[in-house]
Amino acid sequence: MLPAVPEPTSAHPAATDDTWEPEIAELRRREAMAQRMGGPDKVERQHQGGKLTVRERIESLLDEGSFHEIGALAGRASYGEDAELSEFTPANFVMGRGRIDDRPVVVGGDDFTVRGGAADASIWQKQVYAEQMALELRLPLVRLVDGTGGGGSVKSLDTDRRTYVPPLLGWQYAVDNLATVPVVALALGSVAGLGAARVVNSHYALMVRDTAQVFVAGPPVVARVEGEIAKEDLGGAHIHGRNGVVDDVVDTEAEAFARTRRFLSYLPSSVHEVSARGEPTDDPERRDPWLIGAIPRNQRQVYRIRPIIESLVDQDSYLEIGAGWGRAAVTGLARLDGWPVGILSSDPYQAGGSWTADASDKVTRFVDLCDTFHLPVVHLVDQPGFMVGLAGEQAGTIRNGVRAIAAIHQASVPWCSVLIRKVFGVGGAGHQSSSRLSYRYAWPSGRWGSLPVQGGVEAAFRAELDALADEDARQARIAEITARMDAVASPFRTAEAFLVEEIIDPRDTRPLLCEFANLAAPRRQAGPTTRSYRP
Amino acid sequence: MTDVRSEIAANVWKITVEVGQAVEAGATLAILESMKMEIPVEAPRAGTITEVRVAPDDRVAEGDIIAVLD
Repeated sequence: MLPAVPEPTSAHPAATDDTWEPEIAELRRREAMAQRMGGPDKVERQHQGGKLTVRERIESLLDEGSFHEIGALAGRASYGEDAELSEFTPANFVMGRGRIDDRPVVVGGDDFTVRGGAADASIWQKQVYAEQMALELRLPLVRLVDGTGGGGSVKSLDTDRRTYVPPLLGWQYAVDNLATVPVVALALGSVAGLGAARVVNSHYALMVRDTAQVFVAGPPVVARVEGEIAKEDLGGAHIHGRNGVVDDVVDTEAEAFARTRRFLSYLPSSVHEVSARGEPTDDPERRDPWLIGAIPRNQRQVYRIRPIIESLVDQDSYLEIGAGWGRAAVTGLARLDGWPVGILSSDPYQAGGSWTADASDKVTRFVDLCDTFHLPVVHLVDQPGFMVGLAGEQAGTIRNGVRAIAAIHQASVPWCSVLIRKVFGVGGAGHQSSSRLSYRYAWPSGRWGSLPVQGGVEAAFRAELDALADEDARQARIAEITARMDAVASPFRTAEAFLVEEIIDPRDTRPLLCEFANLAAPRRQAGPTTRSYRP
Repeated sequence: MTDVRSEIAANVWKITVEVGQAVEAGATLAILESMKMEIPVEAPRAGTITEVRVAPDDRVAEGDIIAVLD
C-alpha cells in the first residue's frame, strides 16, 4: 500500500502563528508524494513482474528503520495557476544512508516504476552523490540496479535539438570507490549499458535468476545487428553466472539482500580499517577425524573440496564467491577463530583443479579483493598446473594464469599455504609469493614437481619403452618405472631437504590455521594498496 | 526426464550403467578423464537410465548430455 498524500496547507503562516509548521507540513506532503514512486499502477506492474519496488528493496536490505533518505524532494514538479504544487514525479533513483548489522552504509537504487529507471527521468547528481558520499565518508556502498542505460531515448534529440559526447558523469568516484570501500551491486531487473557497467564495477556483483538480465545493449538494439533475441536468452543468469560478469546468481531478491549483508560482514567499512573479529563460535582446537582420509590414496581419484574447507574454518562461516564460473578455482570468505579470512582452493572435479583462463581471472580478482581489504589468505593447494591442451591455449590460459600469479606476488596480506595434494608446473609453483616467508604446511598426500610422474614417465623413457614390441610388456615396464619414481616422490624426502617446511597430520590443520589467523591479525595494515583495484 | 550433462570438457573413460538400470541419487553413471584425473558423472536424483548418449573414448564438451534419467 502506498501512503496517502496529505492535503496541501497554505504556505503562508497565519499572523498568530509565528512558526514554520506550514512548511514542515508541505515538506511531509512532498515526501509522501515521493513515497508513491511512479504511482499505484506502475507499482502494481513492478510487483506483477516478481520484483520489489526500490523502497521495499532498501527496507529489506537495511537494518529495520535505519534508512535515512537524501534527496527525496528531487523530481519533476508541475505547479497550478495558484503556484501550488499540483503534480510531482520523483527522480527515479532513491538513495541515502542506512545500517547493515549496525554498521553505516550507503545505498542507492533505481526506481523502475518511474520511466523504467531510465536515466533521462533521473537527476544524475543523485547517483553521483551516493558514490561520492560512500567515498568521502568511507562507507560500504550497495547499488540496487534496475534500470536501462545512461542515455535517454533517442527521442531526446527532438527536445534538446542537439546531440552530445556521452559522458561518464561522476565515474571517477565509482572507480575510486573500488580502491576505498566495499561495493556490492545487485542486478534486479533488465540492466543495460551504464546500468550493466554499474553492476560490474563492484567487488561483488549478484543477479537474480529469471528477473534480472544484464547486457551491453538490450534486444531492440541487438535485433538490428544480429536479429531477434529474447532478453533472457541474451543476458540471463545462465550466461552471466558462468562467465564472471556477475559473481553469483541467486533465486530471489531476499537472497540477494541476505548475501549482500553476509558479504559485507567479513569486510571492514573501508580500506582505512581492518575487519573486526567476529565472536568466536567454534573450538579453534577442533580436529575432525575424517580429514585423515579426505584425500584418496589413488591419485587419479577426485574428492570434494568444499566439505574440507567447511571442516577447517569456523562452523557455518564459509561464504563461497563465484561458485558458478571459473569453477576449477574455489574462492570464498570465512572465519578462523573469529577472524575474517579469504580461502582459496581448487575443485578436482573441474579438470583436476587445473587453473583455466577463467579460473585464473577469478583467482586474480579474489586475491585483489583480499589484499585491498586486508584479509589474510589461506590457500589449500591442489594444483596440477595450468590447463594444458589446445582449448587451453586458445583461451590464452598462460596470460591469465600468470596475471593470477602476479596478483599473488603483489598481495601483501599474510598468506598461509597448505599443500593438500598436487603442486605441479608453473601454476603450482605460483601458489604463494616466491619471496616472502613461506608460511606453509603439507599434508602427507602432497605430491609435487615440474611434471607429474604419470605421463612424465612415457616422455622421459620413450626410447626404452619404444624398444618393447609387446603392449603388455610396455605397460608392465611403465608400471615398474612409475613405482620406482613414486618411491622417491614421498613428501618425506622433500622435507629432508627442507624443500617443504612441515608435514602435518591433516587433522591438525584447523588448530594451525587458527594460530595463523591470530598471528596474522596484528600484521594486517590498514590503508589503500598501491595497486588499487580493477573490476 | 533429466538430462545428465558433463560439467567439463573431457574424454569418456568408462560407462558404469546400462539403459534400464535403476540408480540412486549420487550414483556414478560414467567416469570421464581430464588432466589424468577420473571425474565421475553422478546422478542428480534417483531414477531409471533411459538413454546413454556417449561411449568410451568419446570427447565431450562442457554441457554435453552423458545420459538421460527418467
